[in-house]
Amino acid sequence: MGKIDIRHLTADYVEKNKSFTALSDVSFSVETGEFVSVIGSSGCGKSTLLSILEGIKPVTSGEILIDGEPIHGTGSERGVVFQHYSLFPWMTARKNVAFGIKQVKKDLSKKERLELADQFLDKVGLEDFKNKYPSQLSGGMQQRVAIARALAMDTDILLMDEPFGAIDAKNRTILQELLLKLWEGDGTQEKKTVVFVTHDIDESILLSDKIVMMTANPGRVAKEIPVPFERPRNRAELVQTKEYGLFRNELMSLFYSDIAGKIGGDEVVL
Amino acid sequence: MTWKKRYLKVTNFLFIILLLLQLLPDQVSKEPHTSYLVWFVVGVEVLVLILSTVIKKQEGLNLFTDIIGFLYGLLIVWTLATAKGNWLNPALFPTPGQVFYQFVEDIDKILVNIKSSVGIILEGYLLAAAVAIPLGLFLGWGARLGSAATYISKFLGAIPPIVYIPYGIALLPTFRSVAVFVIFLATFWPVLAGTMSGVLNVEKRLIDSAKVLNVNKFTMLFSVILPASLPQIFIGCNQGLGVSFILLTSAEMIGARDGLGYYVKQYSDFGDYTRTIVGLLVIGIVVVVISFLFNKLQNYLLRWKR
Repeated sequence: MGKIDIRHLTADYVEKNKSFTALSDVSFSVETGEFVSVIGSSGCGKSTLLSILEGIKPVTSGEILIDGEPIHGTGSERGVVFQHYSLFPWMTARKNVAFGIKQVKKDLSKKERLELADQFLDKVGLEDFKNKYPSQLSGGMQQRVAIARALAMDTDILLMDEPFGAIDAKNRTILQELLLKLWEGDGTQEKKTVVFVTHDIDESILLSDKIVMMTANPGRVAKEIPVPFERPRNRAELVQTKEYGLFRNELMSLFYSDIAGKIGGDEVVL
Repeated sequence: MTWKKRYLKVTNFLFIILLLLQLLPDQVSKEPHTSYLVWFVVGVEVLVLILSTVIKKQEGLNLFTDIIGFLYGLLIVWTLATAKGNWLNPALFPTPGQVFYQFVEDIDKILVNIKSSVGIILEGYLLAAAVAIPLGLFLGWGARLGSAATYISKFLGAIPPIVYIPYGIALLPTFRSVAVFVIFLATFWPVLAGTMSGVLNVEKRLIDSAKVLNVNKFTMLFSVILPASLPQIFIGCNQGLGVSFILLTSAEMIGARDGLGYYVKQYSDFGDYTRTIVGLLVIGIVVVVISFLFNKLQNYLLRWKR
């Protein structure tokens, strides 16, 4: 039994009076402390899958077990970072983090919550931006706040839905390394179990222990691929190795065979 | 800023022209109370000079002095047309000095009337907001009830609240209660409609974001939906405030024993147009001050918006 067991998940939705199958018989497991990336082209249902894990979308059949218990709706053992709108625009960075803390640690005083929020904002490098509103922060900084909140809430599981998808390339790199550093920690704490949705292959290799490749029409798991690289990982060194190139090519061919199949095969040169 | 940019302004020349103008002989038979005008403009000019020294931003200072420039220009034309030129009928158009004199003479009465009018507005307005905002939150959140309520509020909100006045007078014991009731209605519908549309238009992803934090229903409604709807709630509140003044002063002209509308109506009935103009100016000032304070509050509460 894993930390998260996804069992025969099927999800049909009706949109504009047309029914479609977003997920078809999706099953995989995530071990405690494992970092799993779910990757696939748009329309493969990876975001739908994460919404179901978050507890904000219903399923048609199948179930999700966390620690062996089926989940119903949202839960305080799961923290979430979205691509957009994770933060409340009317709260400053520290209020946003403190608000998250308040929902899980109800016995802390307001002062303690704000102190804890400050600690986590320090960790993500936002010492000087604590009292700024989200509209005064760049997209990258907003995601730092969202990550700080998710970490401060100290949930067992972290669900991240393309958190760096809207960030420019340079800041994306910085944020990936920050996340990696925070997740790996100093070795004293137990690692969080992470499910990370992305369409960026390099991102998924750098961060994860396992990659779940999904394909579309209907959304299903094409392959589960363990990432064979040692931790702690260093991006600059890793990308130069021959193994990295080979592994990346393998993933690319899987990734694009799906797209090529969808838009007509041979004519597509990639 | 150089001293030229600070002090060498058209506004300050207009001030000097306005003062020199007072040296011309008066053309009206009634005492024009020129000294009251002079004291007033000297007071304003002192303020202008202080602010010219204190304010750091050129744009802010220019805006202020431009507004005062218009005021001086108006007073120059007014003085010429009445006290110094007598181009207008002196029974209908008092001199500026007479108006300022009357204002000072009547200040106690005026303050009582301001207190009465503002008291009624505040009572009706705050009562309406206190009922409409929570109700709008609940109705907007309960999707099905909300869409029915939207139509009902559209219908009831479309009735101009002034037509309730005669019925209100028949229904309620005092003029004050009628006025509060009418202002309540005038504010209630726009605020309710604004709140409901605010709630219905809250970004769904924000609600998801709150859901995944496992907030309870109370927190969701008052810590998430309410602040998210605040911009639209303020649209309704602004609308209500604008209508409230029109209504109150109209109502006071119909049946009140005090209030600013009563002050204007009473004296214009007696042909005392000096006091009528005093009343008009006081109403203008009160509305501007209340709108200013309201805007400050709005900007403060919505400071998180870009």
